[in-house]
Amino acid sequence: MSSVILRNLTKRYGTQTALDDVTLEIEHGQLVCLLGPSGCGKTTALRLVAGFMSPTAGEISLGDRVVSSPSRTLSPEQRNVSMVFQGYALWPHMTVAQNVAYGLEVRRVDRATIAKKVAAILQTTHLDGVADRYPAELSGGQQQRVSLARALIVEPETLLLDEPLSNLDTGLREEMRFEMRRLHDAYRYTSIYVTHDQGEAMTTADRIAVMNAGRIEQFGSPEEVYEEPRSEFVARFLGGSNILRGKAIDATHLEFAGAPIECHGVPLAAGRDAAVSIRQHHIALSNGVSRPASPNAVQATVVRNVFLGSTRDYVVEAKGGSQLRIIAAPEQSFAPGTSVWVTLPREHCRALVS
Amino acid sequence: MTETARLDASRAVLPLFAGALFLLVVLPVGWLAVFAFSDHAGHFTLSNFRLLVTDPSFRDPLVTALALAVSVSVICSAVAAPMGYLVARTDMPFRRPVRLLVMASFVTPPFLGAIAWELLAAPNSGLLNQLYRAARGADPDVVLFDIYTFWGLAFAICCYTFPYVFVLVANALDRIPADLEDASSMLGGSAARTARKVTIPLALPALLAGALVAFLQTMTLFGSPAILALPAGFHVITTKIWSLFQYPPKPELAAAASLPLLLLTVVLLRAQAKILGRRGYTVVGGKSGEVRPVALGGWRWPAFAFCFAVLCLSVLLPYGALFNAAFSRIPSQPLTFSNFTFSHFQFVFQELSSTKLAIKNTFYLGMSAATCGTIFALVIASLTARAATLGTRALSFLATAPIAIPGITLGVGLFLAYTRGPVVLYGTLWILLLAYVTIELPAAYQQLQAAFRGISGELEEASRILGASRLGTLRRVTAPLLGPSLVATWCFIFVAVMRELSAAVILFTSETKVLSVLIFDLNESGDLAAISVLGLTMLVLTAVILVAANRIPGFTGGMKLGRRI
Repeated sequence: MSSVILRNLTKRYGTQTALDDVTLEIEHGQLVCLLGPSGCGKTTALRLVAGFMSPTAGEISLGDRVVSSPSRTLSPEQRNVSMVFQGYALWPHMTVAQNVAYGLEVRRVDRATIAKKVAAILQTTHLDGVADRYPAELSGGQQQRVSLARALIVEPETLLLDEPLSNLDTGLREEMRFEMRRLHDAYRYTSIYVTHDQGEAMTTADRIAVMNAGRIEQFGSPEEVYEEPRSEFVARFLGGSNILRGKAIDATHLEFAGAPIECHGVPLAAGRDAAVSIRQHHIALSNGVSRPASPNAVQATVVRNVFLGSTRDYVVEAKGGSQLRIIAAPEQSFAPGTSVWVTLPREHCRALVS
Repeated sequence: MTETARLDASRAVLPLFAGALFLLVVLPVGWLAVFAFSDHAGHFTLSNFRLLVTDPSFRDPLVTALALAVSVSVICSAVAAPMGYLVARTDMPFRRPVRLLVMASFVTPPFLGAIAWELLAAPNSGLLNQLYRAARGADPDVVLFDIYTFWGLAFAICCYTFPYVFVLVANALDRIPADLEDASSMLGGSAARTARKVTIPLALPALLAGALVAFLQTMTLFGSPAILALPAGFHVITTKIWSLFQYPPKPELAAAASLPLLLLTVVLLRAQAKILGRRGYTVVGGKSGEVRPVALGGWRWPAFAFCFAVLCLSVLLPYGALFNAAFSRIPSQPLTFSNFTFSHFQFVFQELSSTKLAIKNTFYLGMSAATCGTIFALVIASLTARAATLGTRALSFLATAPIAIPGITLGVGLFLAYTRGPVVLYGTLWILLLAYVTIELPAAYQQLQAAFRGISGELEEASRILGASRLGTLRRVTAPLLGPSLVATWCFIFVAVMRELSAAVILFTSETKVLSVLIFDLNESGDLAAISVLGLTMLVLTAVILVAANRIPGFTGGMKLGRRI
């Protein structure tokens, strides 16, 4: 059974469309990431679910209740959702314990229960020692945990997370990704997690909705959206991809840099312009003297070669001027200006929906 | 939070407050307009305005007031702009004490300053004139200064108006990021050139705005001209309006004379907003380094001497004169050990029957106006700070509108609105409360709105999403965070009420006299010693409240508002 349903949800500001006819069903207990660049509408979608604004068209259901529609929007406090804010939004005049207890006090839970639950959640979030501190006395990571604890303690029907890790520094951010997943596995609240960070989405999400320009481009498991990107945007946004452009020869071949490149995925229409994506690290480089065994190979000239320690980052220019970015093993080095063969393995060449 | 439709109390609050504001603002101004276009019998007429422009007894005060306002704003700019620059951007000695003393002149009620200057520079009894005669052995009819003249009045007003210009200029200079000046010196500009080409042009809009404020203050000022111009035998527009309420009252003419004042204020305030709001000039200080003060070299002490002279004239001498008069057996004689007395205090606090009543009234009114005004401003700011709908914009406009209504104009409007049915408030403290809340609302509202902007909307949203209603959030999250601002606003209103004269002088009756009106009355009867005692009492009270307000720490002891939050 679906726990959160967005039905043809649209939000316009004047002539600008922030969210364009979005439909999404989230199953009970799942954590779904809305992933996309800034301005793609992901935060708008989240704030619509929170009830901070009303949709221009479409509706939102939580459980079996319609909570948002253009004619009627339940206020945030009537929805039994809770939220982790990008800036944490901890109240500076309350201690950690007071911040966390707030939601239960508003719900008029008795004192003894509140004390018990606060103690339990502070333990789960590794905050037992700081209950009486004020937010400004905590580190960024601790503030983040308080913000999580405060949202989790009310046992929300739906948990909303708005870029919860973006204010942390890199090391802590990576650690907290796993922590977020651990807490989700512990509580299993239906969650919507907004982020622009691919790694964060991959680590935490059951399913990812990749968003662009107010629409959902692709919705699927992390493996699906990574391995089988349906559009050029998804291919580019998730991990480095090269897009090969050319005329389709038949359903499975594309002419690129003078060579027929075999691919799979969406069948191509012969004679039409088409695009094929391939990951940067799936491309192989070899010296320009002997042609590789694979028929999916083109000749190119090295433009740039940067040593990154565990890999080398190349840019090569194929015949016709198209540039490809390649991540290759560091052992073998081709200086700029060298002629090389570029192998594009058939199984990694994915035809995209044009 | 944007335009969310909500089903809680806020739905009812908005119209309620819009209605209340309507009563406070639109009703008096409406009656003003009605009366201005009515004759004695209530029929439509333009004769009031015809009289206003043709009769010299009306035209002259208007012309005098304009001349006065222009003079004051020019003098204030000429004095306050260099002072602001010296204090904000140079290495002049004692910059902080200079700032503090300017603030002291800021909080001095102008009418009290005018009375102090009576004590100093009245032609015969003025202390300065007496000292001059004693020093030169001159005849008793030799007069060095005469405060009862046009220029004497202009001078006395300048003393308490220049802080407006000073504050605007100094703040603008404080906010100019140092790197703008650094960029000029990097390119080889000398300190003087940098000042001339970068710093001063950036501060110019603030100076212009300050000059406009000085102009407006002077146009709408009642106390100083009433004290200094009337003995000199001339009127300005505000004193003329007041005189129309003396027997036999002519409210229609008073209303007609108040309208140009209202229009002028609206126009000038719009001009000011335009000057300050121009995009290219708003310097929002980013990460700017420490301001490196301009080295004055040999000019450090002359510069300080200039500031000191200004502060002597506006603060030190007048306060000295008040102090002198309060303790000297004969107020117009310099204080010595032999003529030191407490008898004036005894007279004011024990024998003068109206003192107790006036102090009681002032306290009640100050407390209630401060409390009502703060709550009012808080609710309005909470509605308007987070949402920009048509309704909240209208509310915001109404809450700011009284800023354009001069005190005396509002006084006339309230008088007209509440001397007849259905609600008669004239003669009660209620009408004064209405006047005070209306007059102080814009400043209180702007203060709290700025405070609201300083609190991230997420802090409120976090409370809403955890199940608290809008009002519950205001009570549990927003109000505690606003605590210090709320206290400051409350004190601000209280102090402002204590010194308000121009509306009170129209609206008071013998039972509803307040401190400022009492001082004004005593001046008419020439009792300068009693005035000095009351004036000093008032100043001490003001100082105590202001200091207390500044000392109040953040709410709970351990609370620290860190940068991260």
